[in-house]
Amino acid sequence: MVDPTLIWAIPYIGAGILALLWVAGYREEKVFAWTSVLSILASAIVSTIVAYDVLANGRVIHVTYKWIPWINVEAGTYVDGLAAVMSLVVSWLSFLIALYSVEYMRGDWGVQRYFFFITFFVGSMLLLVLADNLVLLFIGWEGTGLASYALIGHWYTDEEEYWVGVPGRKALGVPMYFTPSHSGLRAILFTRIGDVGMIAGIALIYALTGTFSIPEIAEKAPEWMASLASGHYLTAALLIFTLGAMAKSAQFPFHEWLVTAMTGPTPVSALIHAATMVKAGVYFMLRFAPIFFTGALASGIPAVVDQVYTYFEIIAGIGALTAFMMATMALVNNEFKLILAFSTASQLGYMFLAAGAAGVLIKADPEAFAYGVAAGLAHLLSHAVFKAALFLIAGWAIHVAHNRFIDYMGEYAKYMKATAVGMWLAGLSLAGIPPLSGFFSKEMTLTTAEEAHLTWVYLLGVVTAALTAAYTTRLILRVFHLPPYEKVHAKPHEAPPLMLVPYMVMAVAALLLGLGWSGVSSLLSKAWGLTLAIEEAPLIKFEVTKGAIMTLSLSVLSIAFVGAAYMVARVDFRRILATSKAAKVIHDFLFDRWYINALIYLVIVNGFAGIVLAATAVNSAIDWFYHAGLVAAFGAFSMAFRRLHRGRPDYYLALYAYLVGLVLLLAYLAWG
Amino acid sequence: MEAGIPILWISVLLPILVGIAAWLAGPRREEQVRAYAVASFLSLAIPMVYVAYYAAAGALPQGVLDPLYYKAETIRFGTVALALDALSAPIVFGVSLVTSFVALYSVPYMRVRIEEMRAEGEEPPSMGVYFMLYNLFSAAMLGLALSTNLVVFYVFLELTLVPSFLLIAYYGYGDRRRIALLYFVWTHVGAALLLAGIIYYGVKAGTFDYLTVPGLQPVVAETLVGGAARVIAALMLVGLFVKMAIIGVHMWLPYAHAEAPTPISALLSPNLIGLAGYAIARFVIPAFPETLLGWRDILVALGLATIIYGGLVALSQTDFKRFLAYSSVSQMGYILAGIGTMTKLGIAGAMLFYLSHAIGKAILFMTAGVFIATLHGLRDIRKMGGLARLYPKTAAASLFGFLNLAGIPPAFGFWAELLVILGLLAVYGGSPNSFLILVTALVLALGVSAAYSFITMKRIFYGEPKIKEAPGEGGILVNSILAIVVIGFLVFLAANAFIGPYEAATALSVVEHLSLLG
Repeated sequence: MVDPTLIWAIPYIGAGILALLWVAGYREEKVFAWTSVLSILASAIVSTIVAYDVLANGRVIHVTYKWIPWINVEAGTYVDGLAAVMSLVVSWLSFLIALYSVEYMRGDWGVQRYFFFITFFVGSMLLLVLADNLVLLFIGWEGTGLASYALIGHWYTDEEEYWVGVPGRKALGVPMYFTPSHSGLRAILFTRIGDVGMIAGIALIYALTGTFSIPEIAEKAPEWMASLASGHYLTAALLIFTLGAMAKSAQFPFHEWLVTAMTGPTPVSALIHAATMVKAGVYFMLRFAPIFFTGALASGIPAVVDQVYTYFEIIAGIGALTAFMMATMALVNNEFKLILAFSTASQLGYMFLAAGAAGVLIKADPEAFAYGVAAGLAHLLSHAVFKAALFLIAGWAIHVAHNRFIDYMGEYAKYMKATAVGMWLAGLSLAGIPPLSGFFSKEMTLTTAEEAHLTWVYLLGVVTAALTAAYTTRLILRVFHLPPYEKVHAKPHEAPPLMLVPYMVMAVAALLLGLGWSGVSSLLSKAWGLTLAIEEAPLIKFEVTKGAIMTLSLSVLSIAFVGAAYMVARVDFRRILATSKAAKVIHDFLFDRWYINALIYLVIVNGFAGIVLAATAVNSAIDWFYHAGLVAAFGAFSMAFRRLHRGRPDYYLALYAYLVGLVLLLAYLAWG
Repeated sequence: MEAGIPILWISVLLPILVGIAAWLAGPRREEQVRAYAVASFLSLAIPMVYVAYYAAAGALPQGVLDPLYYKAETIRFGTVALALDALSAPIVFGVSLVTSFVALYSVPYMRVRIEEMRAEGEEPPSMGVYFMLYNLFSAAMLGLALSTNLVVFYVFLELTLVPSFLLIAYYGYGDRRRIALLYFVWTHVGAALLLAGIIYYGVKAGTFDYLTVPGLQPVVAETLVGGAARVIAALMLVGLFVKMAIIGVHMWLPYAHAEAPTPISALLSPNLIGLAGYAIARFVIPAFPETLLGWRDILVALGLATIIYGGLVALSQTDFKRFLAYSSVSQMGYILAGIGTMTKLGIAGAMLFYLSHAIGKAILFMTAGVFIATLHGLRDIRKMGGLARLYPKTAAASLFGFLNLAGIPPAFGFWAELLVILGLLAVYGGSPNSFLILVTALVLALGVSAAYSFITMKRIFYGEPKIKEAPGEGGILVNSILAIVVIGFLVFLAANAFIGPYEAATALSVVEHLSLLG
């Protein structure tokens, strides 16, 4: 038996070695790159063995080492069905992307730092999904955030080519272009706010249960949830606990950090900001939704069920809103990576929607819950694969164009056939077209929303599906089939094998996962049957429903429409929107991200700056009081006192008499 | 248990002897100065070794008593003794870690500083005097953490003050004599209030001990002093608040910590002020548990307010050292909030916070010193930017320092913050209103800490480089920082050495009793 602790320990050890080498002044690029790749590969192999053990033998593996016994924090690795699937996805995608990075980052001035943080990230991410207790999970969680911060700001000297957004553009007076160091700061501060909620939630649960262990928390869920529900703050407490997940997975109103995270090197966008870290919030939902759900049911108290219901309703609503909002923004953008980033946040919204809608079934149809969370995991899986492929392709496209804007790209299908095939496979998977995997997982998600009778959520989901198909088609046509808008000097060519292979593997995987969906779904079903707080394996079967037909036909229509417009009629909607006077309002609203970023800066950031000024003013007043006011007062007192000593006997006599009187009076009071 | 050899006294007295030897010998050659530094380093590093040893031996919960102690009970004084236990272990380790490595760091830094002063036509005292004062200051802080008696505590407190005052007056920046005086007077206001409380305590309780010898049990004075408990507790608290620079009485700190020579800033901020927080946990709470329980909400609120206020003011600073000084004010708020919960978790967290702040702030002050020493006194954050390109190791170390302040793993500050929050939630998680108020305050407090940490990181190290050339980093100036980073990471992994002993700590038995009541 292999110790599953190794899965996360190996990358950490790799990162430790790289850190030591770096401090020692060693800088050989190849050693850094391959130490990173090989440690991730070793971890992927171990995770495969462990996952096989879990899924094939149908047993949950739990290994613990002592760490801080007083507060019951152990270095515990808990591999159930969910964790097994997650660790497989994370480790293998990380390996492929690290491999791609070897070529992509070659010769970069910060390449050593890059591979250190990538390896550290993989360790943290795997720790996050395998942790058996909340503190360990949180350590992994913060580790991923730290790596994300460092890698977003990888090119921290802030040259213009690494920015995101159109330089000079402003919305409501707020700049809409971001340097890498600024973006890194945004990422860590946005997510930190959520993390405070999460740690407060962890501490609250600890105060109620005396444990951090996730299985024990699940076991005690009926009691602690009932105790919170009786104080009428179960919904609030759960939402605060989930705040970290919302921030990490870029759900409204935290989504802004993910958009600008695109200043990082493209493999980072693929790995951290598409395939893995941003899924941590979704993983959190998939891990805890069953605990909340079964806990509420087991408590048998209506108040608990009601408050949990409200919680899930809010989660589903936020997911749907994010999905829709971000899809609309993707429609008009013209930066390759930004379009993908909007799309990522939008798809993460779907996953939140699935988990939330599954929970809402607590009143209507508790039996269908497992199917709902399985939808979340299915979409996580398929999205991780196709979105990573899309990002890696974006990396190559941007590289050959020497430009991040799609207006400077065109007709790439002529120069790179394999890449074009990969792009179509991954893109159609995103657009939800059968037989690609994205179709099935999206269908499961929407089915769950439909069954939960969340009409608005469902409708937003369907509309988002159509929008997704539209923006994906536009992107692919623009880059691969239409001639470039702007004058381009760079001559595109096919990617080198070390870069081509990783994304082609993923693109083909998106197809194969879809073709073999019945196998995938039985595997997922098995995994869920082995997952904490879910005892029975849900039946995951694709059925042709009215809803599915409707969504699919909408998506196909939108692809056909966009295709016809762009390829046949040569109409570009984005240009029309951007140039026509009447439509410019709509364009600007979408292009400037619903003005949410501007509002955050105008209200929150400026408000905060105002408070800083106010506090500083108060501080100056205190300073003045102590070091000028008080000093002056003492000086004046001293002067006044000195006036009594002017060498005049009459003063001294009077003073003497007064003091004697005072002493006598005190003596009388004391003894008399 | 009793230690086999008087190692605690040795660790306090040896650095002083080294310092006196350095002073008498005087600095004739550069190698001599280095030898003083190495000798100081070795003598000041002793406590790190024995803390690790006693932690491994499982002796910290009950405490370790130095075999040399003197009972002066006939004059109602109590006992002169030194002891180490769960409560003081992180403090002693923190003092030892910072003072030992900063002793090495002092050599290159002070060389530059003294040359600079000579160029300005001044004749500062030699490095012999420096190390005498430095070691006296460091050893006094150790003694402070190890003492078991209020008078001994107070004597050590004064012993920290005099050398640090002289070090600022001799080698400081700016209007250094005025600032040294300001520092002296203000902290003396605090000390005087504390002294009034101590004397009142001694007179009423018939002893100045706060730990019994040899049992090392906390002395619960509340019942002994009767109605005076509130007055004594209030005097001690307010006195210690001034020392600790809690909101409202913090104004002396930014001057002293910013204008002290940087190695001394790296002792004042990371080590000295936190000792006042330790003192509250060490004797004020165990002596007056019921009284302080009544003030719990005030203490916690004051702590949280200090975090937020200090952090906000830090954000508007343009001088790197002054920024760090305000950040220290903010960090003291965490210690107060942790102690204020009156729970084992909270107090343990506060003591860990001392260590994490020591690690983080020492790293950052030393970083500030690197720029001052190598970039002609550069302190203005506005003139920095992009420095990570020229100072990559320093930048990495600083990031680790900021992680300690913001409580983000893999920094030890994470454990400290976690325990403080666990303590807070244990007290305030029970009702929806207090829970929501607490969460709001925590979002603000932790948010502000993260904000000033990462914003400053960006201002100093990222962005387009404003300075194109620098002598670069290297030598003991930067390596001593990296050493603290490495040890800081190791204590993150080996956190149980510090956290574990609290589970059955005799020193907190009083609090345990409290939490059963409340």
